[in-house]
Amino acid sequence: MRRSAAVFLVVLISILRCGKPSDQAADGRVTVVFWHSFVSSTIPALNDLIVQFENAHPGIDIKTQYVPTGDALIQKLITAVQSKTAPDISWVHANYIESLVEADAIYPMSRFIQGRNGLNAGDLADIYPALLQYASWKDTLYSMPMEATNLALLYNKTLFSQAGLDPAKPPQNWDELHGFAKKMTVDSNGDGKFDQVGFFLPVFPAAGPNGPWMVWQWFPYLWQAGGAYINDPQTEVLYNGPGGRAALALWRNLYRDLRLNAFTTDYDVAFASGRLAMVMDGPWNLPRFERLLANVDWAVAPLPAGPDRRATIVGGEYLTIFKQSANPDSAWAFLKWIIRPDVQAKWAIKSGYLPVRRAVLNDPEFQVYIQANPKYRAFVEQMEFGESQKPIDRFGLEIDRHIAEAIENACLGQKDVAEALEESAQKSNRLLQSPVGE
Amino acid sequence: MKPVAENKKHRVPILSTQGFSALKFLSPTLVIFITFVLVPVFFSFILSFHKWNMFSAARSFVGLSNYSRLFRDPEFWQVLKNTLVYTLGTVPLNMGFSLAVAVLLDRRIFGKKWVRTAFFAPVVISPVAAAVIWRWMYDPNFGLFNYFLGWFRLGPVNWLNDPRSAMFALILMGVWKSFGVNMVLFSAGLQGIPESYYEAAEIDGAGKWTRFWRITVPLLSPTTFFILVMSMIGSFQVFDTVWVLTSGGPLGSTKVMVFYIYEHAFKFFEMGYASAVAYVLFAMLAFLALIQVKAMKSSVLDAT
Repeated sequence: MRRSAAVFLVVLISILRCGKPSDQAADGRVTVVFWHSFVSSTIPALNDLIVQFENAHPGIDIKTQYVPTGDALIQKLITAVQSKTAPDISWVHANYIESLVEADAIYPMSRFIQGRNGLNAGDLADIYPALLQYASWKDTLYSMPMEATNLALLYNKTLFSQAGLDPAKPPQNWDELHGFAKKMTVDSNGDGKFDQVGFFLPVFPAAGPNGPWMVWQWFPYLWQAGGAYINDPQTEVLYNGPGGRAALALWRNLYRDLRLNAFTTDYDVAFASGRLAMVMDGPWNLPRFERLLANVDWAVAPLPAGPDRRATIVGGEYLTIFKQSANPDSAWAFLKWIIRPDVQAKWAIKSGYLPVRRAVLNDPEFQVYIQANPKYRAFVEQMEFGESQKPIDRFGLEIDRHIAEAIENACLGQKDVAEALEESAQKSNRLLQSPVGE
Repeated sequence: MKPVAENKKHRVPILSTQGFSALKFLSPTLVIFITFVLVPVFFSFILSFHKWNMFSAARSFVGLSNYSRLFRDPEFWQVLKNTLVYTLGTVPLNMGFSLAVAVLLDRRIFGKKWVRTAFFAPVVISPVAAAVIWRWMYDPNFGLFNYFLGWFRLGPVNWLNDPRSAMFALILMGVWKSFGVNMVLFSAGLQGIPESYYEAAEIDGAGKWTRFWRITVPLLSPTTFFILVMSMIGSFQVFDTVWVLTSGGPLGSTKVMVFYIYEHAFKFFEMGYASAVAYVLFAMLAFLALIQVKAMKSSVLDAT
């Protein structure tokens, strides 16, 4: 009996101990584990990038681990940090940086930028400030942008011509956007179902997985109308002001007039099949759309200007280095290499993402590429008026949810615009004014 | 070890040689049960008195404040109401339909096995795959439902995107998905009723309805009660179809309890609060189960 007890214990211990990874191979090569959630059409470009890096750095192997969707990735990262199996470097959505900092899971970038293999001030200043703002939390830089994105307007030229509009003149302001969209919304047999819709707005259930995506697409309209998200000491939200009301009224009117609540097809499928005339999207879908939209005559235009100014939202994906990493300096070497202008140029061309720094625009290879690809060029040129929202210190996720609720309430006609925003702002302000540490 | 007196049920003490061998055979299951069920259940109970975001090592003890917050949160009451509406919608429909089908199939008809299999098929399909299919059927432009309504010059109904119809759409799918199990249970119950009762009643001149109400219904009552409680427990825990069909929208009209727990745990990282809600749900289900056990005992006694 005693022997079987011993056997039992040994088995149990070996079960619990298994799966401890070793970082250092016998030949001195270092493995850097890299987690990401790139869409599948980007993976070939990523693999290509990694091969180039490994060729240039024979001592370092990059092992990628793909986790579908950024929201699932953060959940995996939490468990990994708790069980001490975090990757060396990971791709994260900007709004989760706060959580990782609170868990003391990631290094501030200053550790590397000011280190032996550092980054000079000129390089750092070359990166778009809107991106660095997202990459930071409480004014400390915790991550580096790997690529940039923004939102532009994709439109079907054939449908423009059919509606008697000039396909060389995409909508320049909100009135044109609304007017064009209505003109291209068609119910040919009068059965109450539209056969063609002029424009698509991503209005999703606020509680659903796409709620944050909806809010992200609403921000440029808030800025175009001169609105703002929050005041500077972060004690009060401002999105319920006149700018927010104008932006939400535009969305509500479009949603109502185009009867978008009956529009359930995926926007990309609808756009590819010629049932959708205009849609907002980012550059990451360009490689996919080139194939999907082979039979569509389409173009990319900047987002129309609002009553206050032209604006689009800039985003990106961010790389961050984990404190549990056994080889943080090798991870940094990878990160530093990725933001080199020549690497950025190649990566941007291959992946369809936008470069994170201005120096790339002078890269000869890149210049040739954007001249040959007007759709991609439209995204690059939009970086000029790209804006971003400084991440707030606390309750960022909750406040975004409250905005999403306001959008949903107004668009579905449950509440009028001012009422929906006011109610949402009150909820957010209550959070912001709650004592710190609660 | 002190020898344990043999009692009527012949209990084997765990630390005896025999008990230890039993433990060895049970150990794979036990290890899995303890690590993945027992420990998390206790851990989550402890968590419900803490504030914790899963990231930080620090957990602060907050006493009962998660529970008091829950009862003050208007959203919680809304979610509870949604869950009750879903339960009160699915359970009676489900039971009525499955009983009707079971009774109709409880005689010799051609192709009975095939019909029964067809009705049981939805139970076997993965809930997510089924929900994706239903999402297409509910599509306002291309969906089957609006196509059928079109025959009668009705609609189009915006099934899932209208707060007035979304819950109904969920209920309909819930019934379709789960009534097969109850149909099988009712069939088994029906087969347990002796044929002679019906013959005797027929001789006494009882009609079809009288036989159904006076013989079938009372003798099925233990089965009916079991199904009632199990269906209620199942409806309280609905999640996957809600997730795929509506994500709790539009306007929170289909947000149910388990969805609310998920959202607070894995969207806002409020593990303590989510655990508290989970324990409130647990208390409600435990109460249902208790009624079930009590009622089963008394009905078994009645039957003997």
